[in-house]
Amino acid sequence: MSSSPILPEGEEAVISIRGLRNAFGEQVIHENLDFDVRRGEIIGVVGGSGTGKSVLMRSIIGLQTPSEGTIDVLGENMVGRDEDEAKNIRRRWGILFQAGALFSTLTVAENVEVPLREYFRMSPKLMDEIASYKIAMAGLPANAGPKFPSELSGGMIKRAGLARALALDPELLFLDEPTAGLDPIAAQNFDELILSLRSKLDLTVFLITHDLDTLYAICDRVAVLADRRVIAAGTIEQLLALDHPWIQEYFNGPRGRAAAAA
Amino acid sequence: MASGATIDGGETSDSNCYRCSGALTILRAATTEREIEAMPDGMTIDLTDVERMDTVGAWLIYRAKRDRGAKIVGASDKITGLLEQVAEADQPVKVIPDRRGGLTGLIEEVGDAVVETGQTLVGLVGFLGATLIGFYNVLKRPAKRFRLNAVVQRFDLVGVRALGIIGLMSFLIGVVIGQQGAVQLEAFGAEIYTINLIGRITTRELGTLMTAIMVAGRSGSAFAAQLGTMKLTEEIDAMRTIGVSPVEALVVPRMMAAIVMMPLLSFYAMILAIAGGGIFVWIALDIPPLTFIQRLREVVPLTDLWVGLIKAPVFGFIIGLVGCFQGMQVEGDAEQVGRRTTAAVVQAIFLVIVLDAVFAVFFSGIGWI
Repeated sequence: MSSSPILPEGEEAVISIRGLRNAFGEQVIHENLDFDVRRGEIIGVVGGSGTGKSVLMRSIIGLQTPSEGTIDVLGENMVGRDEDEAKNIRRRWGILFQAGALFSTLTVAENVEVPLREYFRMSPKLMDEIASYKIAMAGLPANAGPKFPSELSGGMIKRAGLARALALDPELLFLDEPTAGLDPIAAQNFDELILSLRSKLDLTVFLITHDLDTLYAICDRVAVLADRRVIAAGTIEQLLALDHPWIQEYFNGPRGRAAAAA
Repeated sequence: MASGATIDGGETSDSNCYRCSGALTILRAATTEREIEAMPDGMTIDLTDVERMDTVGAWLIYRAKRDRGAKIVGASDKITGLLEQVAEADQPVKVIPDRRGGLTGLIEEVGDAVVETGQTLVGLVGFLGATLIGFYNVLKRPAKRFRLNAVVQRFDLVGVRALGIIGLMSFLIGVVIGQQGAVQLEAFGAEIYTINLIGRITTRELGTLMTAIMVAGRSGSAFAAQLGTMKLTEEIDAMRTIGVSPVEALVVPRMMAAIVMMPLLSFYAMILAIAGGGIFVWIALDIPPLTFIQRLREVVPLTDLWVGLIKAPVFGFIIGLVGCFQGMQVEGDAEQVGRRTTAAVVQAIFLVIVLDAVFAVFFSGIGWI
């Protein structure tokens, strides 16, 4: 196995990006970026601040139209699709935004029901039950259901966001810094939660994180964003074998070593 | 059926067996729910042929087992795991907070509204005090505390940038007054009094009042929305911890802008309204501009101008105070910003009109008729 960001022929890629270019005015974020995500894996995306991790995620989920390149998600081309066509794919993924992005006028349980209402016609009772067990699965107590987002702590907002992301039993889960701002115990619980959900629900997880412990604990592969592209993707051992200064500094710094020892 | 659930009711021995096959996922949730509903209690659910299951499917099966005493057979290890997982997550969760209905609910709502109104009034008085202290601190040590840049920027936003819309609005109001006056007074052959009407009503009342309404809509709302957003993003807390008083840094410049700009904008509005009326009577009644101005000087006493201009800074003060107060009251979420902004505009306009009535009585009382 190599640490190339492109999978070898014959392997099934859930996300496949070729020749991606993103630019804001003069500032080029991505140039000629190639990247594949394998089905069923948890892939961590790392990179220094401003290397475009969130922009990459936004491009994949269609919130940012790239100036060049192709993006295939679950076998469908995402660039230039109109809203209606893209809906079928949107149903198959769940997204946890960095700050939760819960709808502030709805309670937690109603937030979880939003995607259910949007895509399916089912009895209100079943919908409430689905929201209930999703909330429990995300590790929230029962009394969090009727609360409004403004009444929740940071960790609870993340969990509520996760419950909403899981509402439709997605095949693909995007997590933007899920453990940022959580205490170490909550972060560890979150890691375990992601692992157990992955094994039970056959999830593919695209995870943006700065949390080295998370990278070591749950990621099958790690993709490194630098120099406007994904310079490498592989297990941490494979990445360490590369002679790139940023990667060496990232994993061999004091924090990296502490996380590796844990 | 390749990917559908089937109720196997053909054989009598098998009539309470629900046989699932294919993919039992959220896509089929509604149908599956109905089909399980139709089965007798104590049914057997056969999952041997299920190829794929998600948590929604697992939940439906688990629920049948929990509530209807269903027996589950033929579950693979993976499906058993899923069933265990949803069983673990089984906790009744309320979707919306409890609310009292009926008469008690109504009384509770009324009570809440009364308490809230009282709290708002007390809060407004407190805020007025804090603002006055802020003004006092700034005026006491202007060299150190006066924020020239902030004040000039507010002057620009509240005053200069409002010139276009307030000018246009006033001009049109002048035209409307002229037109209405001309039509009504012509019936008595008294169309010359249209000039009295235009001159006096714009200076005494409409110039200031319409400007106040426009400033409340433009700037009072902006104050509330800006301060409210800053409150949400903790900018105001950050200011406090650094030792900068938010009242001095944010509220005082905005209030100053509203107080200083209101009389200037009002005067400008009066002139534009008179110009609009003047042009209308020139066209419609053939009264040339020179005659119009001559007559204005004869019939509009200077006290009319003072009536309008004295009210203006007071209105500005009210608009600034209510706007900043509502902004600082924001807590919690983005919806609050919207609600508080609306409240700022509504309350400011309401207070302005109430005060305008008080002023009208007062000025008549002192003989400025």
